[in-house]
Amino acid sequence: MNANSANIQPSLIKLLLAIAGLLVIPHIGQLKPLFIGLAFALIGWRGLSIYRPKLLPNKWILLPLALLLGFIVMKNFGMAFGRDASSSLLIILMGLKLLESRNQRDVQAVIYMCFFVLITPFLFDQRIELALYGLLVFFALLFALIINNSQSDSLKNIALLRICGSVLLQAIPLMLVFFLLFPRMIGPLWSMPDEQSAVSGLSDQINPGSVSNLALSAETAFRVRFRSSAPTQKELYWRGPVFWETDGQRWVLRPPRKASFQRAINWPKKTSDYQYTLMMEPHKQFWLYALDSPSSAPDKVRLSADRQLLLTAKLSRNLSFELRSSLSNHLTQLNEEDRQRGLKIPQNTNPKVLVLAEKWRSISAKPRHIVRQALQYYNREFYYTLTPPSLGSDPIAEFLFETKRGFCGHFATSFATLMRAAGIPARLIGGYQGGVYNQLGDFYTIRQADAHVWVEVWLDEEGWVRVDPTAAIAPNRIEHSIDASLQRLNGEINFILNPPDGIRRWAQQLNWVLHSVDYYWQNAVLAYGPEKQHEFLAGFGIIDWRDMITWLSILSATLIGLSMAVFFILQRPSIDPVQQSYLKLCKKLAKKSSRRFSYETSSDYFSRIQPYYPEKEPQLTTLNRLYLASRYGTTAAAEFIEAVAKLKL
Amino acid sequence: MALTLAQRLSFRRFTRGEIVKQHVALNHRRIFILPNKAGLSLALVILLMLIASINYNNSLGFVFTFLLAAAAQASTFYSYKNLSGLHISLAKSVPCFAGEQASININVSEKNQRTRWQISAKHLKQQQSFNLAAAEQAILCLTTPVKTRGWYQPETITFSCSFPFGIFRVWSPLRFQHAILVYPQPIDSGLTIQAAADDRVGKGQSASASGTDDFAGLKPYQAGQSYRHINWKALAAEKGLYSNVFSSEQSSDIHLDWQSCSDLTVENKISQLCFWVLSCEEKGQSYGLRLPGVELAPNKGRKHQADCLERLALYEC
Repeated sequence: MNANSANIQPSLIKLLLAIAGLLVIPHIGQLKPLFIGLAFALIGWRGLSIYRPKLLPNKWILLPLALLLGFIVMKNFGMAFGRDASSSLLIILMGLKLLESRNQRDVQAVIYMCFFVLITPFLFDQRIELALYGLLVFFALLFALIINNSQSDSLKNIALLRICGSVLLQAIPLMLVFFLLFPRMIGPLWSMPDEQSAVSGLSDQINPGSVSNLALSAETAFRVRFRSSAPTQKELYWRGPVFWETDGQRWVLRPPRKASFQRAINWPKKTSDYQYTLMMEPHKQFWLYALDSPSSAPDKVRLSADRQLLLTAKLSRNLSFELRSSLSNHLTQLNEEDRQRGLKIPQNTNPKVLVLAEKWRSISAKPRHIVRQALQYYNREFYYTLTPPSLGSDPIAEFLFETKRGFCGHFATSFATLMRAAGIPARLIGGYQGGVYNQLGDFYTIRQADAHVWVEVWLDEEGWVRVDPTAAIAPNRIEHSIDASLQRLNGEINFILNPPDGIRRWAQQLNWVLHSVDYYWQNAVLAYGPEKQHEFLAGFGIIDWRDMITWLSILSATLIGLSMAVFFILQRPSIDPVQQSYLKLCKKLAKKSSRRFSYETSSDYFSRIQPYYPEKEPQLTTLNRLYLASRYGTTAAAEFIEAVAKLKL
Repeated sequence: MALTLAQRLSFRRFTRGEIVKQHVALNHRRIFILPNKAGLSLALVILLMLIASINYNNSLGFVFTFLLAAAAQASTFYSYKNLSGLHISLAKSVPCFAGEQASININVSEKNQRTRWQISAKHLKQQQSFNLAAAEQAILCLTTPVKTRGWYQPETITFSCSFPFGIFRVWSPLRFQHAILVYPQPIDSGLTIQAAADDRVGKGQSASASGTDDFAGLKPYQAGQSYRHINWKALAAEKGLYSNVFSSEQSSDIHLDWQSCSDLTVENKISQLCFWVLSCEEKGQSYGLRLPGVELAPNKGRKHQADCLERLALYEC
């Protein structure tokens, strides 16, 4: 009976096929449909061959097939082997290995591959649901390992399931120790090809219509928890990239020069400042969002002269930052270069725009008055809508003089152009406005639906001042968040207004709970990287990786030692109940007489000590009879135990 | 019995095991554990998963990588549990002839009320796997070829398993102090039995070697007599058990004599004598055995045959 040549039980193959299917499912929508399809085809093929063994391919079919599929992957991804390519290759290899497996050793290899495939979906998405799903599949994989190594022909084996469950439960403490203490490293070990995946959020270009497609997205952009009180809803302007340059069609972000960082100054700390923790989702951009305006930059983040917070690399994982912002304006100097940049309008600007700006300037030359007039103009004639008419080659003029319907992008871009035409330095700010407060977890969730664009103008006596033309048209937008769940593409824009009641209230509370769980998930698990680990462990005096390794060894050795101790205590041989009560009886009798010798039978012992207990003779005879009956017969066990309990000396 | 430090750390203890007198219950003193080949490959997979997690700084990747490693660690307890507490003893072994397969009979019993999975017992190259249900007993029979007569001391018998995940091998090497008797290989070198060659036996036997199968009458059957001599006709007629008596049996007691095969080498002599013992017993003749220093009076029956064969097996000159 050589274990390696034993055939695989059909029930085990079915379990493996189910697991393989479950492993491919999370990749749907992440990988190219071609590879998903191929993986399912291979799994299906193996499934069919359970019923028709002739369909099982031999190695003369498998080898060319493997080469062909490898070639397809190579052709699709080239030599750049990143996340997508390796995941695609892995799920196909898993299918091929399933097709090839005929004995116990093959199954072992398939299961190992499945463990690797199990972590690939997390490279795309790390939601809590997916983690729980992964845990379920992990359990199934452990169970498959046990079935494979016990050669059990049925999956319905409670004893094996229990072993699987307790192994998993015992593994959790050690896993936690490793998770917390295993030294995390910053940055990849080798550079990965830049994966193109759709990350929603603001990009480094803004055209009039670019924000409106975000308004339907309930995805989280970032979360914020204030140290103490929070500003009011309409003050929640989350300031992101600053746009200076436009070609009349779109506004483009230029990375600030080195001089810009040198000119940036940290504002003095004030008690009125807001302190908060910002948890960014990986948005694959250089910039951070901060409450307007950040007064200083945290570690490893730079502050530019136009008060953008910039990272040195694109953010590709969950990270949290401690930030400080001041709502009051700080007077600064505008240098000549920035004035030129803030006034530059494209050559091909429509003359009608220039005429309109000139008209306002002729009424009053004071910048503050021009701004007010412009806002009044918007308020009178414009509509706020999520589905504006499409614009042609001269979007600003078409919007201002023809369509007059738009979203924040339309208002902000046209307003900035008008200000520049009127001789007021202006710049476009991308960011988010508002946020949904979670009472349960005491934090704000800022969603993609809160994406917003506004303008800053330079007023000589006040510095850069935020002007939000959208607020002039749709004050609701600023005071309440857009209700993304109620949004319809062609309908009116819905805002989250008064607190709901009835079922909607329950739904809202449930929503808070889910968001709170998600918040802690993001904050404690996903954001636990090198920085967070350093911060967390420094609280225990563990500072560098040497300490981490030391403590990792000590704690894991302690854990293993503890579990061994518990294990051996539980392992102590148990004597059967009859023997237990017999020994108890002997001990009891020995008090007045003498101890039983180990070679003495119960009959010998009882007759020897008989003289010490003259009045107990019948009981002792009965006890002896019952004991012998329970030892050498099949009955009387319960009776004997009962009789021992009743005996009083 | 306590072990000295040197004994405790001796490499032989892990490979060949300690000596077992008769009966042993496997416990932590005799059970060892190390990862096997499949375990090392799993370690490689875990390493790859770790590298992927580090490279993408992926928290969930870390979680599942560490969970797998921790589960592998936790599985060692269940591997140990699968083997520990088994009661193992050698069952009575049957003597065999040189050149045949000796069988080592092992009694394994489960007394801890739990099912044991895929335990294998191995002696040299012979291996047997078995499951054992709670409170069940099994008798294993491991065969091994034996070449020479005498006492055969079995090598280390190793009990092992790699349950539950197949990544750790727990094993317990046992060396039983129990030898199996191996009879000489029966070889007919073509000599005839010289029954009368010796004068110590006296007269009367000389004529009897011929006419072996002449029917001479019936005698009441005695336990130990060969079945093939039972008179079935008498039994069918419900007269009771009788055996046929042949003239040669009646008349002669053969002495199988060392001297009568003087041309052969020692081992061949012994093999020839062994062959004669078997054939005489087969025919139902009485036979005695005479070796230098050994003299067994003529007799027959299983016990006598076993005595003779044992003398032959253990004969040293």
